[in-house]
Amino acid sequence: MQRRAFLGIGGSLLATAALGSWVISRSGEQPLLLSARDDKYGRHYAVGYRLDGRQQFSTPVAQRCHDVVAHPGLPLALFVARRPGTQSYLLDLRDGQLLQTLDSPPDRHFYGHALFDQRGDWLYSTENDTSDPGRGVIGVYQLQGQRLQRQSELSSHGIGPHQLAWMPDGQTLVVANGGIRTEADSRTPLNPQAMESSLVLLDRSGTLLSKDQLAQQLNSIRHLAVASDGSIVTAQQYQGALTDNAPLLAIKRPAQQLQPFAVAEAQRMTMQQYCASVAIHNELRLIALSAPRGNRLFIWNMDSGQLRLDEHLPDCAGVASTADGFVASSGVTGCRAYACRGANIEPQALQLPAGLWDNHLRLS
Amino acid sequence: MLHSVRFSFLALGLMLTGCSAPDPQTRASSELASEVFRPAYAAWAVSSQQLTGSAEALCGGSIELTAARQSLVNAQTSWAALQPLQLGLITEGNRSWRVQFWPDKKNLVGRQIEALLNKNPQPSQEDLKKASVVVQGLSAYEYLLFDPAIDLSQADAKARYCPLLEEIAQYQKLLADEVFQDWEAADGIASQLESFPNPRYADAHAAIGDLLRTQINGLDVMKKKLGTPLGVQSKGIPQPYQADAWRSGESLNNLAAGLASARLVWQGQADNGLRSLLDASQQPLAKQIDQAYADTLQQLDILRQSQTPLFTADGSHTRLQALYTSLDQLHRLHERELAKALDVQLGFNAHDGD
Repeated sequence: MQRRAFLGIGGSLLATAALGSWVISRSGEQPLLLSARDDKYGRHYAVGYRLDGRQQFSTPVAQRCHDVVAHPGLPLALFVARRPGTQSYLLDLRDGQLLQTLDSPPDRHFYGHALFDQRGDWLYSTENDTSDPGRGVIGVYQLQGQRLQRQSELSSHGIGPHQLAWMPDGQTLVVANGGIRTEADSRTPLNPQAMESSLVLLDRSGTLLSKDQLAQQLNSIRHLAVASDGSIVTAQQYQGALTDNAPLLAIKRPAQQLQPFAVAEAQRMTMQQYCASVAIHNELRLIALSAPRGNRLFIWNMDSGQLRLDEHLPDCAGVASTADGFVASSGVTGCRAYACRGANIEPQALQLPAGLWDNHLRLS
Repeated sequence: MLHSVRFSFLALGLMLTGCSAPDPQTRASSELASEVFRPAYAAWAVSSQQLTGSAEALCGGSIELTAARQSLVNAQTSWAALQPLQLGLITEGNRSWRVQFWPDKKNLVGRQIEALLNKNPQPSQEDLKKASVVVQGLSAYEYLLFDPAIDLSQADAKARYCPLLEEIAQYQKLLADEVFQDWEAADGIASQLESFPNPRYADAHAAIGDLLRTQINGLDVMKKKLGTPLGVQSKGIPQPYQADAWRSGESLNNLAAGLASARLVWQGQADNGLRSLLDASQQPLAKQIDQAYADTLQQLDILRQSQTPLFTADGSHTRLQALYTSLDQLHRLHERELAKALDVQLGFNAHDGD
């Protein structure tokens, strides 16, 4: 078994060591980690912590959130309701003040993910048309002052859209349609035998540009990340038997079809058919993937396919790239940073509260 | 370099703990590791070692099939005892799949073994290492010894199946040895459950959390192994061939072995398990869990004494259902009440992600 020097765990000295290589943000402070979080009583919060452990804010919210989308220029972010939530929360990142509770319109609920465009004028949110359960739509909102105003919607060209991202041109959206129909107020699949997951590209007007599917109908494409060269990496949640051989990580390289990313059986089966978050480090050409049911965090080289890390991280959840590697959160234990520039990837404990971090994190 | 890092952790741990007696969580974690987990992994390693001798003896004609089957049952039982103890190296690199392939809804074990032998009648250890997990483990071994279509007391069957049987036994021995060595190693998983902080756990509470999650996960898998053939996930229609040891008929004995281990994690060998961490105000919960174990074991004993075929529409269905209900209650008490009482977070994202 590979043994690694793990810095962690005790005290400010180690915390300082762990943060020594972080790039300081524009404001001269440590990057701000944004995530949804619960307390042990099941109450929900939108939180921001500096990576050195200082709490910037912890704002109680009524509905559990999933992903967070930070504005590209202003100190605000939308904490997006987890499905089938109907409220997302626009917060001032300086103090956590709630600027707006964004309610989904009638017959719509949020699916947990959204994103601002490059200028920050528009926000796109994956949503469910509950009058035709599962029909995927993308709500289009305009930022007016400090409020988001719904202006229109696009089709996601699929069922159960989940995460979405911009392609490098900033004009093309890529959407993971999970393929599972659910009703309002429910997380129960209506179509377990007729799933239809897809990865679609569409332009800002909603015109479908391409649609990829994986071979197995039960393989739900949920999360994705886009590299600067336009490669799209997707993370799946397979709805079939634990023993089925389903590709849980896939890649659509430029001008190619979506295809399985080569993951060895030892790692694939450990995932227990369930991946949570995926992130790309553009400079180092690395893919990080969290598999909370397998309690593993993985890192691969995106080009060679070489496995760089297969790490025990119980209930690992959010993962995001940093200057030197990645940070990852956990639902049950402490958050960790992974410095990836050396020959060996070194995990380092972060002095953040342990556990109850929700599925995704973002750095601002 | 790694040694110096390890010593640094040791020094830090000593500085933080001083010379005082370990706190209750450190004591429980440490003693569960040394008195419950490690012996169970040792027993599994021993039974896997014995499997190699048994396979050779059967194939060489010096023991009967009945004796070889008993060696497999011993290995199966010691493996089943690890169900609520799966922590450390066994959870990495696909190892538990390499020991047992379950559920096998499509009879992949039988089909892949026959396909493998048709293609390669004399598979080597290297061949087996490269093969699918389906043919590497005790599920495959059970197929060879117990499948109704194979009679390994006959020479022609031995000629076809013995090369694979012996390689599987050897593979299991090596795997169990490797995992047990991690429990023995100075910087292995046991050491990480004994003093804190260390590379795996920031403090004893983190270790207790992992031990409880391991136990609860084991109870959950045991529930599924009972519920699947019972038809819990198939509208009540029994699926007898999806029992984890349907060929050998050892499914209930496997469950008993797992339950015994789960109870040991709860009680400890000397009242030093998770139960010892509950304070006076939490004693009603402790008694509730004690009673739940007693109920489940009683239901199980009744069934084990019965000669009725399991997992058929009539037969013992009602009693199996009662056992399942009891096991479900036991699992829920751990998952909901004990976790809360010990302030342990379960799989927030693993169980309730998106």
